[in-house]
Amino acid sequence: MKSITKNFPGVRALDNVDLYVEKGEIHFIVGENGAGKSTLMKVLSGIYPYGSYTGDILFDEQIKHFHNISDSVSCGIVIINQELALFPDLSVYENIFVGHEIKRKDYLVDWDETKLLAKKYLDMVGLKIDIYEQVGTLGVGKQQLIEIAKALSQNVKLLILDEPTAALNEDDSENLLKLLVQLKKEGITSIMISHKLKEVEAIADSITVIRDGKVIVRMKREEINEQEIIRNMVGREIENIFPKRPKYVEQEVVLETVHFNAFDTQKNRYIVNNSNIKIKKGEVVGIAGLMGAGRTELAHSIFGNPRKYKISGSTIVFGNVVKLNTPQKAIEAGIAYVSENRKKDGLILGEDISQNMTIAALKKISNRGILDFLEQALQTEKYVKDLDIKTPSIHQYVKNLSGGNQQKVQVGKWLFAEPKILILDEPTRGIDVGAKYEIYTIINDLVAKGMSIILISSELPEILGMCDRVYVIAEGVQTAEFLIEDATAEKIMEKATL
Amino acid sequence: MKQIDPIRKYILTLLSIFRTNIRDYGMYIALIVIFVIFSILTNGVFLRPMNFTNLLNQTAYVSVLAVGMTLVIVTRQIDLSVGYLGAFLGAFVVVGVEITYPEFLTKLTNGMMSAQLMSILSIIIAIILALVITVGVGALKGFLVAKVKVPSFVVTLAGMFVFKGLLMIKTNNRTIPTSNTFFDKIGVGYLSNFKIGNMDGLTLILGSLLMLLVIVFSFIKREKNVRLGIKVEPVSLFATKVFFLLGIIFLLMYTLGSFRGISYLLMITVVVVGIYHYFTTQTVLGRRIYAVGGNPEAAELSGISVEKIIIIVFVSMGVLSLISGVMYASMLQNTSPNHGPFWELYAIAAAYIGGTSANGGVGKVVNAVVGSIVIMSLKNGMALAGVNANIEPIVLGTVLLLAVLFDIYTRNVRAVDLVGMFYAKNKLQDEYKEAKLAYIAAKKELELATANNESNVIELEYQFTSAQGEYNRIKDRIRSAKEEDFLNELR
Repeated sequence: MKSITKNFPGVRALDNVDLYVEKGEIHFIVGENGAGKSTLMKVLSGIYPYGSYTGDILFDEQIKHFHNISDSVSCGIVIINQELALFPDLSVYENIFVGHEIKRKDYLVDWDETKLLAKKYLDMVGLKIDIYEQVGTLGVGKQQLIEIAKALSQNVKLLILDEPTAALNEDDSENLLKLLVQLKKEGITSIMISHKLKEVEAIADSITVIRDGKVIVRMKREEINEQEIIRNMVGREIENIFPKRPKYVEQEVVLETVHFNAFDTQKNRYIVNNSNIKIKKGEVVGIAGLMGAGRTELAHSIFGNPRKYKISGSTIVFGNVVKLNTPQKAIEAGIAYVSENRKKDGLILGEDISQNMTIAALKKISNRGILDFLEQALQTEKYVKDLDIKTPSIHQYVKNLSGGNQQKVQVGKWLFAEPKILILDEPTRGIDVGAKYEIYTIINDLVAKGMSIILISSELPEILGMCDRVYVIAEGVQTAEFLIEDATAEKIMEKATL
Repeated sequence: MKQIDPIRKYILTLLSIFRTNIRDYGMYIALIVIFVIFSILTNGVFLRPMNFTNLLNQTAYVSVLAVGMTLVIVTRQIDLSVGYLGAFLGAFVVVGVEITYPEFLTKLTNGMMSAQLMSILSIIIAIILALVITVGVGALKGFLVAKVKVPSFVVTLAGMFVFKGLLMIKTNNRTIPTSNTFFDKIGVGYLSNFKIGNMDGLTLILGSLLMLLVIVFSFIKREKNVRLGIKVEPVSLFATKVFFLLGIIFLLMYTLGSFRGISYLLMITVVVVGIYHYFTTQTVLGRRIYAVGGNPEAAELSGISVEKIIIIVFVSMGVLSLISGVMYASMLQNTSPNHGPFWELYAIAAAYIGGTSANGGVGKVVNAVVGSIVIMSLKNGMALAGVNANIEPIVLGTVLLLAVLFDIYTRNVRAVDLVGMFYAKNKLQDEYKEAKLAYIAAKKELELATANNESNVIELEYQFTSAQGEYNRIKDRIRSAKEEDFLNELR
């Protein structure tokens, strides 16, 4: 791929990227979240069609224009996305051939041949399951292998895997890596996006490090070195974009989890594995880790478990063992959770600011179930002023606000519920530097008032700049705890990439 | 370890199959229960040959709609317009056959055409024109839903109003009786008059043929699976299945044969269902409908055009509405502005009772027909038993709700192997007891400590969670045990 540039509204996702992969090698693309790795692969596989980017794709020394995913598949380029493209209600053998069915007379499905070939491809990927099984009942590891079997059935030459092991446990990951090495022997080239540097060291023939949409370095097998990769991934110095604050941390522990586990019955694995965290009054505690490491899942499990994981272990809030099995109970216990996806889980976009701001504590502005709109307006005005939300009126629709102001509305909504513990999940994702600074200032004001904050973030500078203490999570397991004075980006990255 | 005795093993295996596939069998059980209840309430009249034949005839128009509706729901859409569309098309055909085309043909040939030829030609012209209309309407609905992205609920709700109006215009707000003998035959005729003894000869011949085919194909399929290296069930189970199927066919053959045999309505239903069953299980296009319903994004990524599939599904629904409308008009031998209401709702209910998933991607057309029979049995049975007619919709609604509840509760049913569980229980019984006792003890201790507000609550909480975990693990091991796991130990 030569000088690929791809713009999204307001963002340059890829900036003049050159990617070079040799035939028959396993190439890794590494970089922080949001560096542009997935975007690059979507360009290569035709998900972002020819014309939506600039630059050239060369495959087998020929310039290719992929207008859709079928074009790239017919050249032998198959992508396996993080979100698996399988059909949970259909059987294994049917899944493998959906879209490129084995046909008889052009319109009939040849089931006998389908089943025979399905068995053959399952053998090739080393999966020993009944071809009649429903894919939805299988674990992610097996589903991943079915995707690869599907790719093989499409005569794949170049296999692209976007964080294939992110959702897998250790055994499954190892299996997958072995399979890739074996496929390499059969002449199949692979490009793999991964955060797990141990995997990179184990099987990569070459790697490309991407940061902020640019290629930083390409390394060959001999040159690969974990420290070097991390340094290139993190790269930037922490500039002075974080407002200073004195230590407000007191001794009182406000929230504690003891041997806390959450089991996801759908993925059939522990997404929170023996978590023991403590948050003190007036403290900002960071939860660092890569995407899919289980940070959000931990927050959800504490905040009333809305996704209905199987929880075991205990939560202790203000010295009492509590069972927070609904978000309602968590709110009553003084916990608030500002979602990472404000548009999907946090805000009602088609409603105005005052509605959004008061929705989590309507009791405060109502009298025997009848809403007091004057009170609602007054309270909203107060928060709009406190949080410095830039809007012509409190009756502005939230969808018309900028990202930063939307985020402030979301924070205001939860502050209105007067929590003692505030969980902020990626509070600065997708907002500009100025708005970030304002959010950081709000955080500082809140801890000054004695609130405790859990800050979940993918951005290491943010963690280092804002927190008093940080827990690192990898694959659901708490791998390290640092006082912020002892933490560095490299140390955290090392613990986050097991 | 001791081997399980064969009779017990056979029963446990049957039960395992039953429990594993409870979702598929649910509506058959419902049907049997309904049949038994009404047979008792009506002193056996309900299942007498005449009533049973009538029941199947009454079900025909709903079955045909339900088949199409299943595919609509499988693709995550809905079609509310099919009732009045069907009734309108019925009126279109009847008015055409009775008035418009005979007049037209008389004029064209100066009255030289024989009456018989004219009535046949009228039917053909009417049906062809109706087909053109309905394909156009279906394509338009599909286009609006798939390309313009108007929710199908809105598109078809609008269609429902429009077709209701067109029906009233076409019938001129009067009931128009049919007099065309060929047309009437569709709704009230039977395939043959040929008798063997007291029975209908054709039914006996077809039934026997079907039984023969079942036997032959069961063996061929089993043989093929063995050849492909796919696991087959033990002989005892295989025989049970075949005999069960043969028994059902025999009963059906006997019941229908004792009255007048196979009606045209039944024949059309069977042909339509047969074609759709084949279409949805054996053709590329049919399977893609399920892929689109199960995961539209993945389907698009697999190179399937979701828009095209949705348009095809709505066109098919339109064609089936025409068949259904013609069946209904000829069954009642008239067309009327009162035809049409609730048809679409019966069809939707039938699809849901037949286990079609409201989330898309799951649903068998054959099961939708069974769902239709469930609904029409309730209607027919309650009328026969003299139940107050006002009660009927209440019962119908309740049954629909129960069916969907059943579906939700059995959604996560995992495969069980009771034989394996039997061995595992024997093997793990000591560990199981121990874990259970530990769990109960830890629970009690924790409760006591919590009640007395003791200081070590947190510690006990942890003990309780680990005891619970251990207990669950053993239960799960027993639950997921398979017979194969014990083969070595049994030897």
